[in-house]
Amino acid sequence: MNTSIRRTAAGLLVGFLLLVLNLTYLQAIAGPRYRDDLRNRRVQVARAETERGPILSREGVVLAQSRIQSDGSFLRVYPEGSLYAHTVGFSSLLFGDRGLERTRAQQLAASPSGTISAIIDSLLGRARAALGLRLTLSHTLQTAAAVALGNQTGAVVALDPTTGEVLAYYSSPMFDPALLLGEASAPGDALEADPTQPLLDRAGYATYAPGSAFKIITAAAGLEAGSINSGSEFPNPEQLALPGSSATISNFGGGRCGPADTATVADAFRLSCNTVFAQVAMELGAEELVARAEAAGFNQAIPFELAVLDSAIPSAESFANDRPGLGQTGIGQRDLRATPLQMALVAAAVATDGSIMNPYLVEEVFTASLQVRERAEPRVWKRAMSPGTAAALRELMLGAVASGTGTRAQVDGVSVGGKTGTAEVPGGAPHAWFVGFATIDDESLALAVLVESGGALGEEATGGSVAAPIAGAIISAWSQITPLHLSSPE
Amino acid sequence: MVNQARGGSLDAQAALTGLVLVIAWGGLHLALRRLVPRAVPYLLPLAALICAVGLVEIYRLDFHQATLQRWWLLVASGLALLVSLGLRSNGTAVLRRYRYLFLTAALILLAAPLLPSTLPLRGVELNGSRLWLRLHLFGRDLVQFQPGEIAKLLLVIFLAGYLSDRQPELLSSAKSWGRLRLPQPRQLLPVALAWLASMGVMVYQRDLGASLLLFTVFLLLLYVASGRAAHLALGGLLFMGGTLAAYQMFGHAAARIDAWLDPWSDFEGSGYQLAQSLFALGSGSLSGSGLGLGRPDLIPVASTDFIFSAVAEEIGLAGAIGIVVSYALLVAAGIGIALRARDPFRKLLATGLSLVIGVQSLLILGGVTRLLPVTGISLPWMSYGGSALVANMVLLVLLARLSHEEAR
Repeated sequence: MNTSIRRTAAGLLVGFLLLVLNLTYLQAIAGPRYRDDLRNRRVQVARAETERGPILSREGVVLAQSRIQSDGSFLRVYPEGSLYAHTVGFSSLLFGDRGLERTRAQQLAASPSGTISAIIDSLLGRARAALGLRLTLSHTLQTAAAVALGNQTGAVVALDPTTGEVLAYYSSPMFDPALLLGEASAPGDALEADPTQPLLDRAGYATYAPGSAFKIITAAAGLEAGSINSGSEFPNPEQLALPGSSATISNFGGGRCGPADTATVADAFRLSCNTVFAQVAMELGAEELVARAEAAGFNQAIPFELAVLDSAIPSAESFANDRPGLGQTGIGQRDLRATPLQMALVAAAVATDGSIMNPYLVEEVFTASLQVRERAEPRVWKRAMSPGTAAALRELMLGAVASGTGTRAQVDGVSVGGKTGTAEVPGGAPHAWFVGFATIDDESLALAVLVESGGALGEEATGGSVAAPIAGAIISAWSQITPLHLSSPE
Repeated sequence: MVNQARGGSLDAQAALTGLVLVIAWGGLHLALRRLVPRAVPYLLPLAALICAVGLVEIYRLDFHQATLQRWWLLVASGLALLVSLGLRSNGTAVLRRYRYLFLTAALILLAAPLLPSTLPLRGVELNGSRLWLRLHLFGRDLVQFQPGEIAKLLLVIFLAGYLSDRQPELLSSAKSWGRLRLPQPRQLLPVALAWLASMGVMVYQRDLGASLLLFTVFLLLLYVASGRAAHLALGGLLFMGGTLAAYQMFGHAAARIDAWLDPWSDFEGSGYQLAQSLFALGSGSLSGSGLGLGRPDLIPVASTDFIFSAVAEEIGLAGAIGIVVSYALLVAAGIGIALRARDPFRKLLATGLSLVIGVQSLLILGGVTRLLPVTGISLPWMSYGGSALVANMVLLVLLARLSHEEAR
C-alpha cells in the first residue's frame, strides 16, 4: 500500500511543481505584458496616480502639465489644445501615449511610490521625481504655421539648420488631445474613423511626390558631379521628347523656358523648367542622382524622436533601361516620395555648408527645481553636399524667390531662398510645396511647406501660389523673434 | 499592517483580528501539543501561516467579511479542540466504527441545501449554486453555512473505513484475460456509485469543484487501497465522459471551459474574472505591490475562490511560491503520516485527508492561474468561508491525531 501512497504523493508533487512553474511564468515572464495591458485597470489607476512633469515651448509656454485633483489623482491638461497634438502628443488612459508623452514617458513620469519595488528603487538610487521638458518648438512659429495653413490640409516643418532644433512642426488638420483623455472611447474612435485623418502626422509620417522641389537635389547632383554650373546652357524645346518612348515632358503651363533657344540652369531653376531638369538628370545618370538623394537622407531612417517615415527614391539599377523614368524622377515625379520633414532637411543642407544636423525637439530636461538635468547636443547627421555646391544652390534658390516661381515667399529685410513644387497627383489636385531657407545676419531658418491637393485653390494651385505665401508668413514671424537665443529663457 | 501601508495607524479592529488569529491557532496548537504530544508539530503552524495571510487579505478586501471570518476562526478552533478531546480515549479507531453513520450524515448534509426556502433551516442558492444552509429564526438570518464542506470530511472518513474493509478482496480477486488483469465487475460497483454521486452533486447543486474533488479523492483512495491503476484509468474515462456530457448539457460548465481556453475572447463576460486574476498575478510581479497597495479588488469576488490571486498580487511571486510550498509541505507531512501509520484504515484516512488538502488546493490554484479550468472551490484555510474553515481545521486535528497514533 505504501508504494501506491508514494506514487499518489509523487503525482501531487508534480502538480505543485507545475503550479510553481506556471506562477513563475505568469508573474515573472508574462508579468509585464499583463501589467501593461490596457484592459488592466491598474494601468489606468497607476497613470492617474502618477504625476508627469510639464512640457514647455522654447519660450516657456506651457504645452502640457499635470493638475492635481481633489482625490489626489492627476489630470493631464494641454493648454494649447490641438496646436502640439502631433509633437507633444498625449497621455491617454484608453489610447495609450503618443508623441513626446510616449518617447519621454520615463523622464516625465515620477516613479511610483509606496510599493516594495519602489522602495528597492529608492535604495538603489533609481527613484526620481517627475522631470519637465523644454522643447525647441517656438510657440510663435507653431502658431504662425497653424494660422498660415488655416483649414488647408498639409504640414509645415521649420528648423534651425545650424543646430537641428525643430522650431515648428505642424500637421493639419489637427485634433484636440483632450478628446482622447476621458473614460469614453467614442471621441477617439471618431477621430480614428475621420476621413480627413487628423491623427496622421503629415509632417513626418506621410510621404508625397516632391514635384519640382526635388530639383534642388537634381541640381545638387549636377553641381557636385561638375556636369553643370548655374550658367550651363541647355536646349530649350517646348516639349522634351523622352528617348525610347513616345512620352514627352513639358513645362508647367506649357511653353518654353524663356524666349531664347537655350536656357541656363539658373533660369531653369528660377522658372522651374521641367524640360531642362529632365535633361540634367538624364545626362547625369541614375547613379549620381540616387547617390545625391541618399546623401540628403532619402532611403534612410531620419534620427528623430517621433516616428517618421523614410523618404524614397528607387534604386539606380531600376533606371538602367528607363531613361524616361530618370528624366521624370529628375523633376520630382514618378516613384519619388518624400516627407515634409525630409524636404526641410534638404533645405537645411543648402542653408548651411551642405551638412544636415540631427533634427530634435527637446532642448532640455529640467527638474522640479528648474535645474537642467540634460541638454540636447547638436550632432551632424549627414554631409549632403559640399560647401561649394550648397553656396551655388543658395544662389539658385535666392533667384527663384527674388524673380521666379517663389516670389510670394519674399519677406522685407530677410534674404529668402527656395524652390516651389507642384506635384501632379493622378486624378486629383496637385500637392503644393515650398522648400527653402531664410537668413538674417548670422541666423538662418530652413523650412518645408506642403499643402495637400492644392489646398484652397484646388486644381489651380501651384507651389508658388499656395505654399510660398505660407512660407512667407512663417519666415515673417521668424524675423520678428530673431535672433532666437535672446527670446529663450536661460 | 494593511492600515499602516495605507498611511493609517494600527487600529483596534486590526489588533483584534491579530489577537483572534493568535488565540485560535496558538491555543489549538498548545492544546494539541498536550493532547497528541507525539504528533508532528508543524502541521498547525503551516496552516496558521496560510490562514494569517488569507485573513489579512480578506481584511483588506472586505472588512465586514474579515470580522465574520475571525469569529468563524474561533468557532473552528473550538470545534477542532472538541473533536480532539472526543478522540482522546479511543483514538481514530472510533471513526472507523461509525463509518456508516458518517456516510448517512454526509449524504444528508449534501442533500440539505435542497430544503425548501420556507423552513427556519432553509437551503439557499447563491451565485448559481445551491450549496448553502441558512438558519432563519425570529425573522432574521442568523447564520449560514455550507454543509458540503463537513460532508466532504465525513465522506473521506467513510471511504477510508469502507476501503479498509474491502481491501483483501480488492487486492486478491483480479480476473485475468491473458496478460490483461481486470478487476471483477463487483469491485467496480463503488467506482460507479462514486461517479454517480459526484455527477449528482454537479447536476443538482451545480458545484463543479466539489464534484471533481470528491471523485478525484475517491479514485485515488481506491487506487491506494487496491494498488491497481486500472481503477484510475477507468475512473478517469468515466469522469471525462461526464465532463463532456456536462459541457454539452450545462451552460455553466461550458462557460468555464471556454473561459479557460481563451479568457480574452469574452473579456467582458465569462472570461472577465480569470482575466482579472491574470492581471493581478502579472501586476504582482516578483516582489508584489505590498499588502494593501495592490488592486486585487478589481477581481470579482476575490475573497473566496480567487483569494490566491489577490494574495499573489500583493506579496508577489516570492510570497506566492511560499504559499504553494506551504501547501505542498502540508501534503507531504500528511503523506508521511500515512506511510508510517500502523494499519490500513489509518493509512487510508491519512492519505485521504492529505488528498483533500492537495487536490483541493491544486484544483483552485490551478484554476486561478489558468493551468486548469476554474472549478469554483475554496482554498483551504485561506479563502473566506466559515464552514470550510471548520472542516479544514478539524481535518488538521485528525491528521495530528493519526500522527500521534503512528507505530513506533
